[in-house]
Amino acid sequence: MRRRRQPGPVESNGDGTYSINLVDGDRDSLIGLLDQLGTVVQGGDDDSRTTRLFPVAYHDDPEKESEWRGFMRDELVQSRMAAIEKSVGMLRATGPVTEADLIAFMTSLNSLRLVLGTLLDIGEDHDGEDIPEDDPAHGPGQLYGYLGWLLGWTVDALETGL
Amino acid sequence: MASITPHAGPGTRVEEPDLDVSTEENVDTDKPWIVLVWNDPINLMTYVSFVFRKLFGYSQEKADELMMDVHEKGRAVVSTGPRERAEIDVFRLHEHGLWATMQKDA
Repeated sequence: MRRRRQPGPVESNGDGTYSINLVDGDRDSLIGLLDQLGTVVQGGDDDSRTTRLFPVAYHDDPEKESEWRGFMRDELVQSRMAAIEKSVGMLRATGPVTEADLIAFMTSLNSLRLVLGTLLDIGEDHDGEDIPEDDPAHGPGQLYGYLGWLLGWTVDALETGL
Repeated sequence: MASITPHAGPGTRVEEPDLDVSTEENVDTDKPWIVLVWNDPINLMTYVSFVFRKLFGYSQEKADELMMDVHEKGRAVVSTGPRERAEIDVFRLHEHGLWATMQKDA
């Protein structure tokens, strides 16, 4: 007898739409995190947690970089906020989701990982899931791993549509 | 659950654009601009490859090759063209959370 495959958290329906198979508790937790992400995104540009959300564009030209930030930072804030809003709407709804909504969710998940990874000082030799249980960073490290797992499933689902 | 609540800071200072175009700048206008993506241990390899395919229309093979260059060599040139095109590409890569920079080709 063939065992029926358990559905993943994100799956392609094969018709250009996708299914989000997350329990209500996970959806609520993600909405809470995305709400916090929105606050961080709209904060000041001296917040070290946002370094990866607003990276340098002209690394060898400080003058052009300053000009770039003056023009483009607000655009990037608006883009990230629109993606967060779409993601929250998608998590609150039931039923199939569009590719555009899933891509917004994917980029928002990645933004969460960029902020958490910065806080956890993730590097080539430190992936967040190796933090001891008695370390206060253990919980955030597990969350970082969970977000990576969910992001991986999301990318896999979207790959089928390319 | 982990908190990522922020602390407030001052806004970005906007500088006056420099309208003085030097002779050297004129000489270099024909040189194309390159867009580089730099390695970041936080980004998933599959995610980076997917973004390259999505934004630039690269094949799976080409996207994986560029992603591996980023991972193993620290950076890769993902697009080349006029400065305006490079700025669009960098912005879109930043939207997707990749560390991209641009510079005039050497």
